[in-house]
Amino acid sequence: MTGADFREAYEQHKDLLYRFARRMTGSNEMAEDVVHECFLQLWSGRVAYQPERGPLRGFLVGVTRNLALKRLTRERSFDPLQDDIATCGPLDPADRERGLIVAQAVASLPPLQREALILAEYEEMPLEEIARSVGADLAAVKSRLHRARENLRRMLAPLLESKGRANGTR
Amino acid sequence: MEHGEDHELRNLLREWSVPDAPPSLDRRVLAGRHSGNAWWRFLLTGSIRIPVPVGIAFVAALLVLLGGTLRQRNAPAPAPSTVSLVDFHPVSDLNVRVIRRHDAN
Repeated sequence: MTGADFREAYEQHKDLLYRFARRMTGSNEMAEDVVHECFLQLWSGRVAYQPERGPLRGFLVGVTRNLALKRLTRERSFDPLQDDIATCGPLDPADRERGLIVAQAVASLPPLQREALILAEYEEMPLEEIARSVGADLAAVKSRLHRARENLRRMLAPLLESKGRANGTR
Repeated sequence: MEHGEDHELRNLLREWSVPDAPPSLDRRVLAGRHSGNAWWRFLLTGSIRIPVPVGIAFVAALLVLLGGTLRQRNAPAPAPSTVSLVDFHPVSDLNVRVIRRHDAN
């Protein structure tokens, strides 16, 4: 990879990778570390991109995802990574800002559900690309996404209901 | 209903926004790229991947070499160049006889 190729890849994907890492880890510093490490690995050749295996974006998301999960496992070793069936109870909206409540709800999801939701809902990546990035099959990603939405509906029920009532739909 | 709920959930999720990559990341990544080329940095922090069989062969060769060196070091020292006189017995019956040529014939 030439310097120009690297710079182009960095400029093109840095924001998506940073937002993804930020939402996965919940920390600006950790997100910056993770994305920095991702590009360092790309530049030093420690990870090798093969164009025949899909677009560079999905590849970099996969590298960022692995680094973020490694950091999360190290720093919050009690988080069950494989806990696909975990369910979350409703959050208390009290009088906090809605964005913060949503952030807390997403952060409460098990990591595998969280990554599927972030990539699908926030970054609008196709499910096939998500599956390639996270090294899972399409059915698993669909299932995680479904569970993530169910969990979020349950956690955010008070906000969804009030919104529904305000719109006159409930 | 399901689609309506999905739409409602999606709208709610959009209320959580996060910033794009900060300028400090640009500095770290782009500066790190240049300093990352330094050979001395590789010598200090670099790593290489080697296949397991090559690693095993290397370690085995190293052990053989080490064993050879140790054996060489522990081998008995060569015999000293001085002559031992432990088994030397001096002649006790000295009887000198001079043989001349015509005596021999």
